[in-house]
Amino acid sequence: MLKKFIILIAISLGLGFFSQKIGLNPHQAIAISIFSASVLGTLFFWDFRLGFVFIGITVLLLTRTIDLENVIKFASLDVILFLVGMMVLVGLLKEAGFFAWIVELILRIRNMTGRKFVVVISVISALLSTMTSEVVSIIFMVAAIFEICDYFEVDPVPYLIISVLATNIGSAATVLGNPIGILIASKAGLSFEDFIVKAFPLAVVCLVATILIVIVWYRKSIRELDTNIKKLGANEILIRLISVPPGKELKISLAVFGATLFFIALHHRLELLWNLEPNTILLTMPLLSSGCVMIWKWKRARDYIEKDVEWWTLLFFMLLFAQAGALKYTGATDVLAKNLAHLSGSSPPILIGIVLWVSCIGSSILDNVVLVAAFIPVIQSFQSLNLDLQPLWWALLFGGCLGGNITLVGSTANIIALGILEKEKNIRMTFFRWFWIGLTVGVVTTIIVWIALIILPFYH
Amino acid sequence: MKVKEVMSKDIVSIKPDDNAREALELLMKMEISGLPVIDEKGKLVGMFTEKDILKNTLPSYIEKVGKFVYEENPKSIRRKLQHLSHMKVAQLMRKDVVTTTEDTTLCEVARIMLMEKARRIPVVDKITKLVVGIIARGDVLKALAKEAEIG
Repeated sequence: MLKKFIILIAISLGLGFFSQKIGLNPHQAIAISIFSASVLGTLFFWDFRLGFVFIGITVLLLTRTIDLENVIKFASLDVILFLVGMMVLVGLLKEAGFFAWIVELILRIRNMTGRKFVVVISVISALLSTMTSEVVSIIFMVAAIFEICDYFEVDPVPYLIISVLATNIGSAATVLGNPIGILIASKAGLSFEDFIVKAFPLAVVCLVATILIVIVWYRKSIRELDTNIKKLGANEILIRLISVPPGKELKISLAVFGATLFFIALHHRLELLWNLEPNTILLTMPLLSSGCVMIWKWKRARDYIEKDVEWWTLLFFMLLFAQAGALKYTGATDVLAKNLAHLSGSSPPILIGIVLWVSCIGSSILDNVVLVAAFIPVIQSFQSLNLDLQPLWWALLFGGCLGGNITLVGSTANIIALGILEKEKNIRMTFFRWFWIGLTVGVVTTIIVWIALIILPFYH
Repeated sequence: MKVKEVMSKDIVSIKPDDNAREALELLMKMEISGLPVIDEKGKLVGMFTEKDILKNTLPSYIEKVGKFVYEENPKSIRRKLQHLSHMKVAQLMRKDVVTTTEDTTLCEVARIMLMEKARRIPVVDKITKLVVGIIARGDVLKALAKEAEIG
């Protein structure tokens, strides 16, 4: 503990001194020091991360590295409120039985075969995470997978890994899948439509590639499942295992969620039509819907806000965004951007490669939000260098999501799924059992994205 | 009235290394909801309760899945219950146990029981920290009711 703490202090101070040595001003050096302390804090002291950013932001303010007005501006309340609204809606869906209903549907698959199971869990994992966020969807997928594997007496680990891989890929497909999606959309001025047209198809290609890889990789496990299905017969008990009372509440909840998705999907058109600022409807739609929900279910409204909204994470995001903002405010990221552009000879393919692979490898170890928050001001600084930003935003999005597959701590979905595995089955995942398949899928999908971003003029 | 006047002093306890299945059978035989777990040195190390066994038997994700109804018993239930005979009490017991002392008032014990959702609270000696008795929710209520009648 003490050793890690000393390493953290040494590295962040070292980075500060180093940046001053290479010509950055003291404020830029402090901003870099504090931000790196927060990054290392998430790496070494996950449970203390909120405490770290609270202290960090205080230091930035006391040293006049950034002023209060800019802290508030960079804290990106728009993104935070969007996430609050979505979390309330997802809480409502959960309470109404939507997710249990999805589990029920999966348990009812007729004429199950090993391959069919792999395809179904991959597609549903990806779709659920793209609509409701990876953190939520993985819990239900794991529940369904465990019940089915229990019933057919096979090892659930391969299927759990497959589901997590698909969840992380799906999370890149829309602004709803991952916090970095809405963060990038709001900072880059990208619309939901842009995501559907540009990110969604790319995520589908990545998902297909992943399904092909895992079918070959886990062929033995799939064969074993096939044998046991033949041996144990149809899934009669599974079909009846759980039920969700089809109440009015579930229907209304689905209608509210569906309407929210509908307006989010059309937000760009509506904003043009009503002459609103870009992304106004995208960011306010979840607030409008969750506002209605809290009036409809006023007795439960406090529970939605207090239990379903992850305040711990959101407060961490806010202050982290503000710290990343300090990097921009002091001009530290301009220097970094200039150096990066110089390093790549201002060649777009190389720059895309750098952003994609750095965010991919970085988010395999770090929380992808930390990484993306740091990268955003750098990419914004490229604008003054007259570079095409579009492919860089997509590179950042996909790098941040796909990198999460590489290691077992790469994304929140991985951590949640492995937590349940340990609790339920007493199985502790080893680093390498995850790493080889994760690395294969992570590298192959990132290469697919790299090629698409470079050769398709569509992304420029 | 104080705890020492109400608590039961003949404490049946189990050891952390005891077999979980046998401990469960003891619970059922005694028709109580939980037993204190005490190590060789006489120190209280946990409580072994029906609730913890049930919690271990049902999938941990049930709280997070939202509204649904079990129409059948999942296969895992039987397996997990059978697995109890391979488990030790220490693996299932809850380790953060609320305790009380002999000189505590009954109302304070009742308050702790409500706040901590505990049904049986071990009574420990203030100095030696050894378990000297156990007090159940029923004991507290009975004593309080009796006191009210006299008054």
